[in-house]
Amino acid sequence: MKKLFISSTLLFGIAVTGFWLAAALAPEPVGQRAVAAPADKQYSLQDVAKHATPGDCWMGINGQVYDFTAYLPGHPADPAVIQPWCGKDASEAYRTKTRGRPHSPYADTLLPKYRIGALTAK
Amino acid sequence: MKPQRWLPPALCLALPLAGMAWAWPVGLSPWRSVSILSAWAGCGALLASLVLMVRDPRFAAALGGLDSLYRWHHRSGTVGYCLLLIHPLALATDGLDESPQVAWQTLSPLAQDWPEWLGWLGLLLLMAGLASTFMPRLPYRRWRALHYLLGLGVLLGLAHLWAILGGSLGVLGAIGIALAALGWRLVVSDFGALARPYRVSAVRHPATDLVEVTLAPCAAALAATPGQFVLAAFGDGEGFHGCREFHPFTVSGIGPGGVLKLDIKALGPCTRHLQHLTPGVTLRLEGPFGDFLAAAGDGPQLWLAGGIGIAPFLAVLRSRLPAQPTHLIHLFRHADDAGFSDEIQALAAGSPNLSFVPVASGDSPPDIGPLLAAVPGLAGREAWLCGPPGLNAAASRALRRAGVPPEAIHFESFEFRS
Repeated sequence: MKKLFISSTLLFGIAVTGFWLAAALAPEPVGQRAVAAPADKQYSLQDVAKHATPGDCWMGINGQVYDFTAYLPGHPADPAVIQPWCGKDASEAYRTKTRGRPHSPYADTLLPKYRIGALTAK
Repeated sequence: MKPQRWLPPALCLALPLAGMAWAWPVGLSPWRSVSILSAWAGCGALLASLVLMVRDPRFAAALGGLDSLYRWHHRSGTVGYCLLLIHPLALATDGLDESPQVAWQTLSPLAQDWPEWLGWLGLLLLMAGLASTFMPRLPYRRWRALHYLLGLGVLLGLAHLWAILGGSLGVLGAIGIALAALGWRLVVSDFGALARPYRVSAVRHPATDLVEVTLAPCAAALAATPGQFVLAAFGDGEGFHGCREFHPFTVSGIGPGGVLKLDIKALGPCTRHLQHLTPGVTLRLEGPFGDFLAAAGDGPQLWLAGGIGIAPFLAVLRSRLPAQPTHLIHLFRHADDAGFSDEIQALAAGSPNLSFVPVASGDSPPDIGPLLAAVPGLAGREAWLCGPPGLNAAASRALRRAGVPPEAIHFESFEFRS
């Protein structure tokens, strides 16, 4: 057991260091931190409301529209937490996670991948 | 192997499997699935480790003995920790599909929030607590304090789960198991809520660095039998302040009215302090635990004791003389350490079935082979060994070489930390 503990801890440390080095040394993908395309698409809340099921799930967050259909199974929380926000403006829920605390910076980095356009005021 | 001895490993397998079945991922990427499954398998293994840490006589007897419980507690805790290490690494590997930067952000605490910080802190406490368990030379009190970090680490890990997943059935069930096991251990075992009150009625010093205390019950007595051990926490008396922490001691004598004798060798700071015990000191006892010698058959016996390992054999001989041929070898370093040779010689003189061989081996390890070769009819004897792990292992190997079948070799080591 002692050998298992020492070897697994060492391997863990090496792996974490490897991820850090890879992130530091690899070129950052273009546009990763920017809000990705397509900037020209405009959707209203009525448009978003037409996609209100787990199998077709759009949400409005902070003026942007996201298609989370592919992401829903991977969301860490219980599906009952996120699914009711399909077809709605979930800005407040995203900011507070319904318990007064925001999503992590890591969650912010995932958003651009699912962005499909901007939310119009109408 | 006793049938109950399968229960601890079965529990160590069942809880991780239950956790994985409950959280079985569907439609996720392979690495994200690995991450979720390793987290729940590790969580299940750590919960099993917590359950196996509960120190209760009935629970220990039902699961094959305290030594078996602690062995699997240790194994399950280590394996659970290793499985939890996979969890963040698999999540980061999943992020590599995006970019090395996204992968690093899933790991870096700087890119996370307090739910993830709870997970990291829990993992670091597990790392520190487990590292301490592999340091046998660490003083007991420091070792025990560091061991508590493991329980705190598990609780922080469960708080991480609750913060991310919310109060779902699986999370609440895991938290419930952890709190019940930790609560029982802290309140009932470590605080001694169910321990029985005793009082030291007599003290003598049979050998150097060895004190024999006679204990009288102050309320209902423990129902101990020869071969069992108890956990004792000595309190205060006239001119004596006890260390008040529970340590295991083998019962070396059982008298009428629940009176017990314990022989305490000075092996650490607390047991060294106990050499100064005086009559009237109060204490609390938990137990009895163990079933050493309980299954001894009617055939010829070989008893091999190393040092204070003589205690369980002494308890039997003080209760009754053997009805079958019994050969007792007592190994000790020097004549000053012998302690009970005169008493056992006197008993052997009055019993045709008992032969006694005291051996002063000096400071070098005893040569077991010739000692065993001199035992008449060795291959046909049932062997009971009680001594340090090194002596038990060496004697066990020598007995097998001499033709004693493995199922006829029984040993117990009292060197576990509680």
